[in-house]
Amino acid sequence: MNETIKAPVLAATSSAENAPRGLFSWIATVDHKRIGILYLLTALFFFLVGGIEALLIRLQLARPENTFLSPEVYNQVFTMHGTTMVFLVVIPTLIGLANYLIPLMIGARDMAFPRLNALSYWLLPCGGLLLHFSLLAGGAPAAGWFSYAPLSETPYASTQGMDYWILALLILGVGSVAASINLIATILTLRAPGLTIRRLPLFIWMILVNSFMIILALPALNAAIVMLFIDRHLGTNFFQAAHGGSTLLWQHFFWAFGHPEVYIMAIPAFGIISEVIPVFSRRPIFGYEFVAASTVAIGLLSFGVWAHHMFAVGMGHPMDLFFAAASMMIAVPTGIKVFAWSATLWGGSIRLTTALLFAVAFLIQFTIGGLSGITFAVVPIDWQVTDTYYLVAHFHYVLFGGSFFAVFAGLYYWFPKMSGRMLSERLGKLNFWLAVIGFNTAFFVQHFLGLMGMRRRVYTYPDLPGWGALNLISTIGAFLLGISVLVLLWNVAVSLRRGKPAGDNPWNAWTLEWATTSPPPVQNFNQVPPVHGRRPLWDLAHPENPDRSAGNRGAEMNLEKNRVGMVSFLISESFFFVMLILAYLFYNSRAMNGPTPASMLDPQRTGIFTLCLLASSVTFWLADKMLKARKHSAFRWLLALTILLGIIFVVGQGREYLRIFHSGVMVNSNLFATTFFTLTGFHGLHVCVGVIALLILLGLAFAGDLNEGRREAIRSIGYYWHFVDAVWLVVFSVIYLKLLL
Amino acid sequence: MTTEQFFTSAWDWNPWVIAICVIAILIHVARNGFHFSRKIGWLLAGTIIFFLTLASPIDTLANGYLFSAHMLQHLLLLLIIPPLILLSLPPATIPTSFQNGRWQWLNWILRRPLILWFLGVGGMWIWHAPALCNAAVTNVWIHRLQYVSLLLMGFAFWWPIIGPWTKQRLSSLAGMIYLFSACVGCTILGIILTFSPVEVCSIYLRPADRLGILSLIQNQWGLTPAKDQQLGGLLMWVPACLIYFCGILGLFARWHGAAGDETLISESPSKNALMEKSHGR
Repeated sequence: MNETIKAPVLAATSSAENAPRGLFSWIATVDHKRIGILYLLTALFFFLVGGIEALLIRLQLARPENTFLSPEVYNQVFTMHGTTMVFLVVIPTLIGLANYLIPLMIGARDMAFPRLNALSYWLLPCGGLLLHFSLLAGGAPAAGWFSYAPLSETPYASTQGMDYWILALLILGVGSVAASINLIATILTLRAPGLTIRRLPLFIWMILVNSFMIILALPALNAAIVMLFIDRHLGTNFFQAAHGGSTLLWQHFFWAFGHPEVYIMAIPAFGIISEVIPVFSRRPIFGYEFVAASTVAIGLLSFGVWAHHMFAVGMGHPMDLFFAAASMMIAVPTGIKVFAWSATLWGGSIRLTTALLFAVAFLIQFTIGGLSGITFAVVPIDWQVTDTYYLVAHFHYVLFGGSFFAVFAGLYYWFPKMSGRMLSERLGKLNFWLAVIGFNTAFFVQHFLGLMGMRRRVYTYPDLPGWGALNLISTIGAFLLGISVLVLLWNVAVSLRRGKPAGDNPWNAWTLEWATTSPPPVQNFNQVPPVHGRRPLWDLAHPENPDRSAGNRGAEMNLEKNRVGMVSFLISESFFFVMLILAYLFYNSRAMNGPTPASMLDPQRTGIFTLCLLASSVTFWLADKMLKARKHSAFRWLLALTILLGIIFVVGQGREYLRIFHSGVMVNSNLFATTFFTLTGFHGLHVCVGVIALLILLGLAFAGDLNEGRREAIRSIGYYWHFVDAVWLVVFSVIYLKLLL
Repeated sequence: MTTEQFFTSAWDWNPWVIAICVIAILIHVARNGFHFSRKIGWLLAGTIIFFLTLASPIDTLANGYLFSAHMLQHLLLLLIIPPLILLSLPPATIPTSFQNGRWQWLNWILRRPLILWFLGVGGMWIWHAPALCNAAVTNVWIHRLQYVSLLLMGFAFWWPIIGPWTKQRLSSLAGMIYLFSACVGCTILGIILTFSPVEVCSIYLRPADRLGILSLIQNQWGLTPAKDQQLGGLLMWVPACLIYFCGILGLFARWHGAAGDETLISESPSKNALMEKSHGR
């Protein structure tokens, strides 16, 4: 383990020499640094793919009535561009950066779960391949990145592209949630001594908030696409209005994920900026607490405002009113951040490196994107400009001018740490100016196009006054932006070979990752420097003038990583079930033809099986007590009893299903049957997984593996088992209780 | 009746309500002396809102006319008034009667955040079971029981966050989770109420028009029963969540404040203990 020392920093002396070499060592790696780099390289690859798609779009729109792309191909290209950029570029880049940096910044050896980390990475290329495989299977998805129903339903999307889209997003979602659970567990349990939560670098603060947002938001998407998949393959009607479904529910579900997602793509970028600006202004960040608190505020608010994406669908005045007000509120914490960054720059001794240039451009462009975002909270303006190029301009200012510019800033800032060599500042400046000019040329004019009425997602447009010229300008800007990316690639390639050696701390920065060699050794640190404040390396260099010590009071959390990981996972799972339960309630509160709960279900019998499941929680609890008391035989018997009770419940549910099937009711009979089977089916699946986990535990117990304590594993599995039971209690009250009363 | 006539005439100068307000202020002044402080500000805000909740036209509208007015009352009683009153209380140590006297059972509950959480969130849910919701409008005693229980459950819910016994408060992080999960619970209820195509409280669908203001509400204000229920659900969904959200930010400030050099809130009990000791000498 790492040790804290009182003497000045003794960074690791051996560099990456003892690391294994060769391609296979990269494929088999569980080292967070290599996984982080793999993430970044994969994201870079897809960035080029998505970028080429963007250029195809701009070529098609360069002049009116263009026939470069057919409408069908155009739809596929913009869908793939959006999906690629969101799921295969921005999120992997930010997770990759976090993966590389977090253990270094908190003075840890690796992530909390290195093998889970490798799994979450490998799901990324897997999902990416699956998505692009659709090109060979009859055409890419073509319903936009949000796949609005019913456009994404079989009658309107008959190729398999949509199915590949669903499967790819599920896999990518699982990967993101796994990575976030890992990050949460790492940040909460593996910090170096003295690095309290209130001393965390802001990048880590924001990754922590972001990871919570991912585990809370992605289940909404997963639930929605699972329903869409069931619609497409089992002939059900979740989202087909013609048969009683609700297309609007898809929008609610999608944006319940999609709006937090927007912030998920922005908050890590805020974190990068909060590291870069102080270092190159040579002063600590202004208002650390406010920046941290406003991140929490943005995270919380983002879950309550998704309906502002739907002002144009006719939700009614009360809905519009509330969501307009709530959406405007987000401007407050975001504004606080912008002020804090500006105030840090103000009066600092600024070093105008490429990293800081990108950060300053971020500040300006993100503010523009934020301001145009506020205009969408004003309902009448939203009605006027939603789904026009004004919107396209807005979110590119936030995501490209914001997130990507921050990533570029972070790349120039941390590249020396990752590679041991500096990126060329000369090429960097060229890269920067091309990017700024190209980006603003490409997207600023789109505001005007939108206000003039140009719809987004149209494959071409009539030759109206000004439209052709503005679109051409935009296309030229997009190509300039493309060239700037080539300059960046060239810079990386050249610097990797001939760049100036970086040394441990080329920027004179203050956070822990700069205390080790560049690139860091496999073990990260031989000794972690002592941490007494927010800038440990400043304190080391200036022992006569240390930072006002902050965050040294208050109880330190003493958390165990397995339990933190399991609890995070269960929080995520519970949101998935909330979505399924809401869908059940929503569809069953309306009158419908066909089978009903009263005619189909047998609450008494299910009640008995419910008691079995609840009893299994008790037996498990007793089993854990027995293990604590080292009564191993009793522990095994109680564990076996738990499994038996679980199996009885599954068999009971199976018999209920069979009875319903025999009466001729299938999952697509009506929306009651659909929602019933979806909800109870997913719960049954969880019970089965729990039974398997318990069987493994039982095997370990008989092999004698649990004799030496190791209660943490059992307690974690126990959390899962109790959770499954608790979910059933809710499901039972929602579906059956009404029939019993 | 016009809107103006309604809002000027529909006040219910209930002596009980006024008496409670006056007594609360008198007790505060008697215990802490009369000088302007933040604490008396909280108390005044709490009592004024309490008075408005139960004596103003909100109450008239909630009494059988508007589901949304009922919801507003519900939120004020559960989420606004209790925390304001709790904030007005000075930090204190736990009285001995609660530690091992006859109030021990109450202390046993107050030390269990999970129970208090279920009281607070359950308070939201239980009174929106259709049968109870209707009964509270038709039966005056159930109506009163509803008021009292909402207030009590509100006090119970906020106790571990801002209760005067600082020793028993939850840690800031745990408190944030406590509030966030409550926010989720109340959001789900709000969503269900907003989107439910059937009326949750059928009594509001065909109000008995005691005061002859039904046409004013439905025609002039445009609050049809469907819109009314949507509004009620949204009140629970968005603003209610913002109250929890303010609580979370307050906890965050407390947490970071505790790091600085200012007086520590979490330290005040020991300080009080010190002061008491010196008084004792």
